[in-house]
Amino acid sequence: MKRIHTLIVGAFFTAATMTSCQRSHDDTGWEFAPNMYNSVGYEPYTQIEKNPINADGKNMREPVAGTVSRRNYQTKFDSASVDLMVYNIGKDDLATAEAVLKNPVPNNEKTLAQGKELYVRYCQHCHGEAGDGAGPVADMYKGVPNYKADAYLNMNDGHIFHVITHGKGRMWPHGSQVTPEERWKIVHYVHKLQKG
Amino acid sequence: MEISLFLKRMRSVTQALLIALMATLSQQATAQDGDAASGETLFNNNCKACHSAKDEVVVGPGLKGIQQRRDLAWLVKWVKNPNGVIQSGDEYAVALYNKFNKAQMTAFPAFGEKEVKDILAYVEKANTAAAPAAAAGTAAAGAPAGESAPSDLFTYILVALLIVMLLVLGVLMAIVSILSKAVSGEATASAGTSFSDRLRDGLVGLSKNSAIRSATVWFFILMVTKATVDGMYGVGIQQGYAPKQPIAFSHKLHAGQYKIDCNYCHTGVNRGKSATIPSANICMNCHGVIKKESPEIQKIYTAIEKNQPIEWVRIHNLPDLAYFNHAQHVNVGGVQCQQCHGEIQTMEVVEQRSSLTMGWCIDCHRKTEVNTKDNAYYDKLVELHKTNSKEPLKVADIGGLECSKCHY
Repeated sequence: MKRIHTLIVGAFFTAATMTSCQRSHDDTGWEFAPNMYNSVGYEPYTQIEKNPINADGKNMREPVAGTVSRRNYQTKFDSASVDLMVYNIGKDDLATAEAVLKNPVPNNEKTLAQGKELYVRYCQHCHGEAGDGAGPVADMYKGVPNYKADAYLNMNDGHIFHVITHGKGRMWPHGSQVTPEERWKIVHYVHKLQKG
Repeated sequence: MEISLFLKRMRSVTQALLIALMATLSQQATAQDGDAASGETLFNNNCKACHSAKDEVVVGPGLKGIQQRRDLAWLVKWVKNPNGVIQSGDEYAVALYNKFNKAQMTAFPAFGEKEVKDILAYVEKANTAAAPAAAAGTAAAGAPAGESAPSDLFTYILVALLIVMLLVLGVLMAIVSILSKAVSGEATASAGTSFSDRLRDGLVGLSKNSAIRSATVWFFILMVTKATVDGMYGVGIQQGYAPKQPIAFSHKLHAGQYKIDCNYCHTGVNRGKSATIPSANICMNCHGVIKKESPEIQKIYTAIEKNQPIEWVRIHNLPDLAYFNHAQHVNVGGVQCQQCHGEIQTMEVVEQRSSLTMGWCIDCHRKTEVNTKDNAYYDKLVELHKTNSKEPLKVADIGGLECSKCHY
């Protein structure tokens, strides 16, 4: 009887030591004084407790209806100061965008390099490194055009800017990810790809 | 009577044959009009994104047999200005437009009869000659073999070694007990007892030995102390934390296989403190069109419909007492995401790879050189630094070790 007891106790301790060595992947482990870890002010993507002020308990609030984002309203390019307009041409008004919009970003080596960097981040996985629609996602997504296709060769800056902002055909709007200034730089780079 | 019947039948057969012959001839006639080689370039540059030359639907309908469906004049009119044809109320065009989710075909106003004929010739050629070639294309998509986890293998080897060692120990102990008994002259007395009894006797003898006893106790005390100290150092460190997320999103698929840049979804990484978790509209940029029926992606749709945020579990939790800014490190410092987050593009489930301890931060600040090239801001600093040091300018030299840079 005594032997069985020692066996059980032994087995328990072995199990205890073995499990305590490895923390499970779902566990953050011990924290020392978590009240110093958690922010008193509101932080993005962190909410420990329910917020008593907002009805839905979230820290986050939606902006007031009709709020217009004015980021990058005024931007300087090198020595010349160029204002980026508040852009409010409607989604279906591609013709107006084509006729009215002008690229405020000067086309030079620096902006082209920045445009390339942005193109790699936001466009390349579909439109391909050379703009030929051969990106890795395009095989799955289908319908990604070649920038050099005859119907696309004559598209002007305003057209490309509008399509990045609002999307066209199968392409969805990317205005939330790319700022107007960045879009104009991408426009320069797309033209460069079209020329080859 | 019989002869006339036979003649009649003959006539109908020849008629049928003639009609068939004429049909193929006329088909070949339109196809031969065009140049298939130039048609191929035209097709690949302009049509391939949305149309297959076979009969499968890509975005628009497959072009196989298009000449039987539509005549050349209509096709030319359509390619030049699809919207115009739809607007004119053409029944076929409107039906087509509605069938393909009202997605309008791009207009090719520069295309004339010659271009359309060339493309048709290519479509014809692709359908007559390419049947065996198509089968070969589908076979080359095997995924690379799953990587064996070296840590698992290591554990197995350790356990196996441990078992072997225990066995050897048991055998040795048995030999020792037998020998000791033989020497003390008790061999005859214990000869009749079983091996297990002798082993137990040996172990009892060992446990009564005070030197062995105290060694065992000390061994345990040392082990427990080490485990405790290690455990204390581990307090607040969440390395290896890989919680289950509400949606089984795979970075391996998106960032690895499809090579989508990290910035595409984590748009804040160059602009602000937080790298940001993508909002549902960024998911929809692709999943508004593809894989809509997958149950995991349906969760995004549900979240959008209910206007509820997706509650992703945060993995990298830096305590509030330390300040960290992504833009400063990624945009200004040019640090790659993988340097801190590990090989994200190979992770099915994201885990915290780095310890995120202060020592880890400081270590990198001491080692990393500042990129001062083409940046006038650093010119004087570099000059000053050169007067009292031969080392290149490191982050530590420009305040990377100041307490108040991160703690305030």
